[in-house]
Amino acid sequence: MSVYSPRLARLIDALRRLPGVGPKSAQRMAFQLLDRERGAARTLAQALTDALEHIGRCPSCRMFCEGGDCRYCTPARTASGHLCVVEGPADLMAIEAGTPYRGRYFVLMGRLSPLDGIGPDELGLDQLQAQLATGDVRELIIATNPTVEGEATAHCLAEIARAQNVAVSRIAHGVPVGGELEYVDGGTLAHALSGRRQV
Amino acid sequence: MTRARIQLTPGHVLRTQPYRDTSLLVEAWTYHHGRVGLIARGSRAPRSRTRALLQPFQPLLLSWNEQGDLGALTGVEADGHAAALPGEAIFSGWYLNELLIRLLPRHDPHPDLYADYVVALAQLPSALEAALRIFEKNLLTELGYGLQLDDDLDPATPYRYDTELGPVVADSGDGDAYAGSSLIALRDEQLDDETALRDARRLLRAPLRSLLGDKPLETARLLRQIRKSRPTA
Ligand SMILES: [Zn+2]
Repeated sequence: MSVYSPRLARLIDALRRLPGVGPKSAQRMAFQLLDRERGAARTLAQALTDALEHIGRCPSCRMFCEGGDCRYCTPARTASGHLCVVEGPADLMAIEAGTPYRGRYFVLMGRLSPLDGIGPDELGLDQLQAQLATGDVRELIIATNPTVEGEATAHCLAEIARAQNVAVSRIAHGVPVGGELEYVDGGTLAHALSGRRQV
Repeated sequence: MTRARIQLTPGHVLRTQPYRDTSLLVEAWTYHHGRVGLIARGSRAPRSRTRALLQPFQPLLLSWNEQGDLGALTGVEADGHAAALPGEAIFSGWYLNELLIRLLPRHDPHPDLYADYVVALAQLPSALEAALRIFEKNLLTELGYGLQLDDDLDPATPYRYDTELGPVVADSGDGDAYAGSSLIALRDEQLDDETALRDARRLLRAPLRSLLGDKPLETARLLRQIRKSRPTA
C-alpha cells in the first residue's frame, strides 16, 4: 500500500512523468504546490487543460500548433524556398532562437532506427516527399543530429530530395564557436576537417 | 558471488535505448564476453561526454562492473576511428547488429565471430554484399549450423544443397542448382562475381530464416520501405 493518501499518490505519480523527476523531487513539488503555491497550482492545472485542448500538430510541418494557423508555415516562410528538416521540436526551437533562419521546417519527431521499429512511415517521409513535389521548395536543409541514426536519416532525406530535383544541403558539424581544438573530441574534429571550405 | 570488474575490453555498441531518466541501456558486443547489456548512467544528460562515444560501428574499450544480468558501465574510450559507413551501408551495419542481438544470447563469448564482425564493418563500404554473406556464413558456423562446404567441391559441377547431406550433385536440368564455383567462392570467402553472390544469398537464406523464426528482421523491413518509397531505381 502507498504511504500517500490516494489523491496525493496520484499527483506524485503524475509529476513523475516529467523528464528528470524522480520520486523525491515529485514529492517535493507536490508539497510545494499544495502548500505555498496553491494559486500557481491552479494556473498550472488550467494551462495544462488548455494546452491539451488547443495545441495539436501542424499537418504540414508536424510542429506543435494552436488553431489553424501555424506560425512556421506562413506565406513569407514558404516564399523563402527553404525547408529545414529537424529531428524534434526542441531542434526547431534551437534554430529559431539561435539563428536568423526564417524558412519553413519539417519535424520528423524521431530518426530512422530500425532496431526500434522507426522507419520512413513513422517519420512521415511520404508527407515530406509530397511537399517537395509541389515545387515550392528550392533547397532542403538537413539538420538531423550527427549520430549514426541521424546520418542514415540524412541519407534517406537526400535521396528523396534528389528524386524530386530539389537541392539538398546538410548543416555543418564541427568545432564550437569560442571552443579550442585541443578539447574537441576526435569524431567532431574529423567532421570539421572533412567539412572544411575554401576561404 | 564475486562481482567482476571488467577493464577496458574491446567492444562495439549494437544498440542503445533510453533507460530511466538520463541513462542508456547499451547492448554491447565484446571480444571477451560476447553480448552484454550495460547501463550507462547519466549518459542521456545534456552535455554527457559518453553519449557521443556510445555509437554503433565505433571501436571502443569498455569497462564495467558486473551486476547480475546487466553491468554498470564505468568507462568508455574510443579505440580507433569509427567505420565510415556511407548511406545505405549504415543499414547493412544495423542488419549485422540485429542478427547478433536476435541470434546470440548474452554472456556467450565468440571471439572469432567478433573478429569477423570487425572485418565485415571494414568491408561494407567497398564490398557490401560479399561482406554480409561472409559474415552470415561465419555466424551460422559459430551457432553450430554451419554449411558443409568441403574441400572436394568441383567448380564445374552443379549442386543442390541438402540440409542433412550438404552439397549433392544435381540432376541436369535442375533449375535451382548452385554452381560448384559459387559454393567454392563462399567457402573460400572470395565472392567477387554476381553469380557467386546470388547463389550465396539464396543458400544462406534458408538456414538464417529457420533460426530467426517467424519474426522478420526490422532492418530488412525498413530497407524494403525505403526502397519502395524511392521512385527511381
Ligand atoms: Zn506548420
